[in-house]
Amino acid sequence: MVMTAAERIPGVEVRHDAPSGPALREVVFDVEDLTVAYGGKSALSGVSLEVYKNFVTAFIGPSGCGKSTFIRCFNRMNDLIPSATVDGTILYHGEDLYGREVDPVEVRRLIGMVFQKPNPFPKSIFDNVAFGPRVLGLKDGLDDRVRHALEQAALWDEVKSRLKESALSLSGGQQQRLCIARALAVEPEVILMDEPASALDPISTTRIEDLMDELKREYTIVIVTHNMQQAARVADMTAFFSVEVDENRDARTGILVEYDVTSKIFTNPSDQRTEDYVTGRFG
Amino acid sequence: MRVGFHEALDQLEASLQEEGSLVLRVLRGAVTALVGHDLELADEVIAFDDEVDSRYFAIEEGIQDLLARQTPVATDLRLVLAVLHINLHLERMADYCVTIAKLVKLAPDVAGDLTLVEGFQDMGARAEEMVELAMGAFARRDVAEAESLVDLDELIDRANRRVVQHVLSLGSDPKLQEWGLRMMIVSRCLERIGDHAVDVGERVAYLVTGEFREFTDASR
Repeated sequence: MVMTAAERIPGVEVRHDAPSGPALREVVFDVEDLTVAYGGKSALSGVSLEVYKNFVTAFIGPSGCGKSTFIRCFNRMNDLIPSATVDGTILYHGEDLYGREVDPVEVRRLIGMVFQKPNPFPKSIFDNVAFGPRVLGLKDGLDDRVRHALEQAALWDEVKSRLKESALSLSGGQQQRLCIARALAVEPEVILMDEPASALDPISTTRIEDLMDELKREYTIVIVTHNMQQAARVADMTAFFSVEVDENRDARTGILVEYDVTSKIFTNPSDQRTEDYVTGRFG
Repeated sequence: MRVGFHEALDQLEASLQEEGSLVLRVLRGAVTALVGHDLELADEVIAFDDEVDSRYFAIEEGIQDLLARQTPVATDLRLVLAVLHINLHLERMADYCVTIAKLVKLAPDVAGDLTLVEGFQDMGARAEEMVELAMGAFARRDVAEAESLVDLDELIDRANRRVVQHVLSLGSDPKLQEWGLRMMIVSRCLERIGDHAVDVGERVAYLVTGEFREFTDASR
């Protein structure tokens, strides 16, 4: 019997009596027919998928496929770009993320983001982590909060004796873990990572990947990566995006080709385009 | 495009097909030596196994290199795993041929039972057909062809069962009895070669569909 994507998810029980075979693992994001355009030009078109709680979900695909555009929709980063329009729906625990009453600042607290290049503030290590909680008025137990975040980001032991030193004195890999600690300090539920290890050396990359494995016990992680093997190593679910070219209109738009359990994507993908991409026969 | 990688994969597959041809040669040689009681040919078959073994190791080394350096995925991964298994099945087939050749040398030089000897010729031809079919199905990625191996295997299995009955009826001459016992092992070797051909077919189905399954349930 051919299994559906949901049935292959470890820990997901599928009720065969239900017509749609729903996954019982908790859905954090439910994306339906999402289209994003910049200045009227479509960057991403008709994407529907579910992101599951305590999973690492990876978005892979060639340049221009819209994967970074897509991840930025999850914490409304595209709101900051005046020409960007977002159509379709993203439900966050059943609530419309783009609803009128939703506060984007609160969204970004619950759904943190770590960027490709580590971008610590030119302040002390402590202040970098304490900044977010201070802004949110979370002043009680700030020292403990900073320590906890640094421990969770597997950085505490390396920096505990020099918390007052500049964050810029840290190595690239340490800076990236500091940025992860910074995201964790405001107690988010989801961490979005846009190419978090692409500027790091292999050892630092391994530490970030190990960290993702640890963090997913408490958080839901969504990652964009150029490195397919990184997706294969760390992700529970993988979505492959590609570029659709409309020659007549000279237009290119990103589409979701396939979304499935990572092992399926890398052993026996259902779509030939995914197959061609992961085996290196395309792109 | 990962040109070098895919060329290396193609070479590996070509090498496996060559190993398949070597196995067919050694199988033909073993059965011919058996039927004609040709001790010289039996020796050649035994020596020829080194050729198969060196091909086997070269393929295994190639797979090791690809896994370590290229991290194959999807069809490429399934192909590498299929080659890894088929390589082992071919090597085992060649070993059975060597066993047959050794039994030719060990069996007493008596005028064996003609029906049995002719039966081995048939079984050998059937085994050859199965190896050819299995490797062809692999080359063509043809699951239906691979599944047809099950029916051919049933014929070899039946022939093997008939050999046992026949040997039991050979009478009380100790030399003939010894010959008969050794021929039972020969029969078993040919039957096992058929089984390995079916296993190759199962790997073809895995390569194409990505699903692990046996064509028949051996426990039934």
